[in-house]
Amino acid sequence: MSTALAPDTTSRTTAPDRTPGFGAVLRAEWLKLASVRSTWWTVAAMVVLGAGLTVLMCWGNADWLASDDADESPGSFITWGMMIAQVTAIVLGALVVTTEYGTGMIRTSLAAVPKRGRVLAAKAVTLAGLLFVTGTATALLGYWGGNHFLDREGIGLPLEGDVLRAMYGSGLYMAGLGLLALGAGFLLRHTAAVISIVIALVFVVGTMVILVPGDLGLWLERLMPGNAGGVLAAPVPFNPDLLGAWPSFAVFASEVAAVLLAAWWVLRRRDA
Amino acid sequence: MITAHALTKRFGTTTAVDGVDFTVEPGRVTGFLGPNGAGKSTTMRMILGLDRPTSGSVTVNGHRYAASPAPLREVGALLEAHAIHPGRSARDHLRWMAASNGIPTTRVGEVLDLVGLDGVAGRRAGRFSLGMGQRLGIAAALLGDPPVVILDEPVNGLDPEGIRWVRSLARKLADEGRTVFISSHLMSEMALMADHLIVVGRGRVLADSSMEEFIAGHATSFVRVRAPRQSEVASLLAGRGLDVTAVATTSGEELHVTGAGADAAGVGDLVGAHGLVLHELTLVRSSLEDAFMTLTADSVEYHAHLDAPEGVPA
Repeated sequence: MSTALAPDTTSRTTAPDRTPGFGAVLRAEWLKLASVRSTWWTVAAMVVLGAGLTVLMCWGNADWLASDDADESPGSFITWGMMIAQVTAIVLGALVVTTEYGTGMIRTSLAAVPKRGRVLAAKAVTLAGLLFVTGTATALLGYWGGNHFLDREGIGLPLEGDVLRAMYGSGLYMAGLGLLALGAGFLLRHTAAVISIVIALVFVVGTMVILVPGDLGLWLERLMPGNAGGVLAAPVPFNPDLLGAWPSFAVFASEVAAVLLAAWWVLRRRDA
Repeated sequence: MITAHALTKRFGTTTAVDGVDFTVEPGRVTGFLGPNGAGKSTTMRMILGLDRPTSGSVTVNGHRYAASPAPLREVGALLEAHAIHPGRSARDHLRWMAASNGIPTTRVGEVLDLVGLDGVAGRRAGRFSLGMGQRLGIAAALLGDPPVVILDEPVNGLDPEGIRWVRSLARKLADEGRTVFISSHLMSEMALMADHLIVVGRGRVLADSSMEEFIAGHATSFVRVRAPRQSEVASLLAGRGLDVTAVATTSGEELHVTGAGADAAGVGDLVGAHGLVLHELTLVRSSLEDAFMTLTADSVEYHAHLDAPEGVPA
């Protein structure tokens, strides 16, 4: 590691005069996202859990679903794995932000791009893009594998209508969950806190509100982010009380937007 | 050029930076010196727009840092070592930074070469030693070929060769006409590196002068005199316009002689011409470190309570 004592500090290449815009920040955030292993580990985990568990559940339940005893639809099983895979979207969304706070790199990021809203927006776009593509691909992979077993029992589902919608719906739901965790990441800044709070909100609180009696309970159940977002990701939801696919997703999307807005407000005001 | 005007930062009831005014000029190395907790890092974070001043302002080249369309091409900063994702390689770290400010990717290889990390560019930064992390931080600071370079404690964790390298780098950057602003809590390091010195303590500027002026003004010297007929020597020297102070020490009383012409030879000649005997005649120089300690003694945030001798050791 020996270095010359009179190093050549000046750039040998001339920097272009054009002002870097949002595209430059987007490229930077993509390079960040793609250059750490944790990103690809969580993406791999999403594919394995999401597609693998769907195939497993369809294999194990195909004959029951085809029988007269069945009180569930094959349409509830064809994206079953995504219910578990959503954990990986939350983890990735959290890590994208909290590792920067944990290492102090957030200061490097905000010094490089002092327009902080751009940092948040670029992180959101790259994360959502990656999760949408991975989520949709995972759902399709699970569909092809799982439908093979449903087909054998004569209850196969064609890739059209609500089934097709559940494919890109899975992608949209994963992207939304990632953004929810990303927003929470800017608000809370600690990996463990963000992951546990968002997972608790999606999995635990979403189920607990069923215990609240009456109309209040019903609406809480419909409006909880995990419940509302997940409807789009299944051709036939397990829970018949929920709103329709797109109204549910509109609820979920506005909740995500509210968290991102809060994150943006806090990021702009707080010392880094 | 960095200009701070009445710059103030409070955290709750604590005032970290208290109405600071200074200018960091281009073409020279300006040392930013102060004990831990003096407000150096907070000031540097405010320069970079990371911390929002409670009041006052600080500008770089006449405008707020955040107003720069490509800040890395205007100001390069090393803020803290290892402010880097441990799982990302040195090259990838610099690549995203370059991309964010429209800096050509070829510059990444240049700065890696420059700091001597070209051989480990692909290695994950989490495996870097403190010194290597520091070099990567310096590479990041120089990435945009910026006219203003800010280095917060750059020699921390570096080996002697690395320290020498930072020194010559700082000199070269200043000679190229850049503004170089380096913080440290080590006076000895600053004495070797800086042309100009801004000393802070408890968030206030205690001194802002060239290194020569600081040395002349603060690094005092005196002549220590011991003699069997001490009082006669004392009145003789005082009669010649010298300042004489009797100081009691563990090994008896001694005289500290200061003032114009208070050098060992002059004092010795004078005393000898009057037939008096000396037992000791020593020129004592207090170091810059001592001067710094004296200057900041009242403003050190965290005193270690040991039975150490207080004040300026002789």
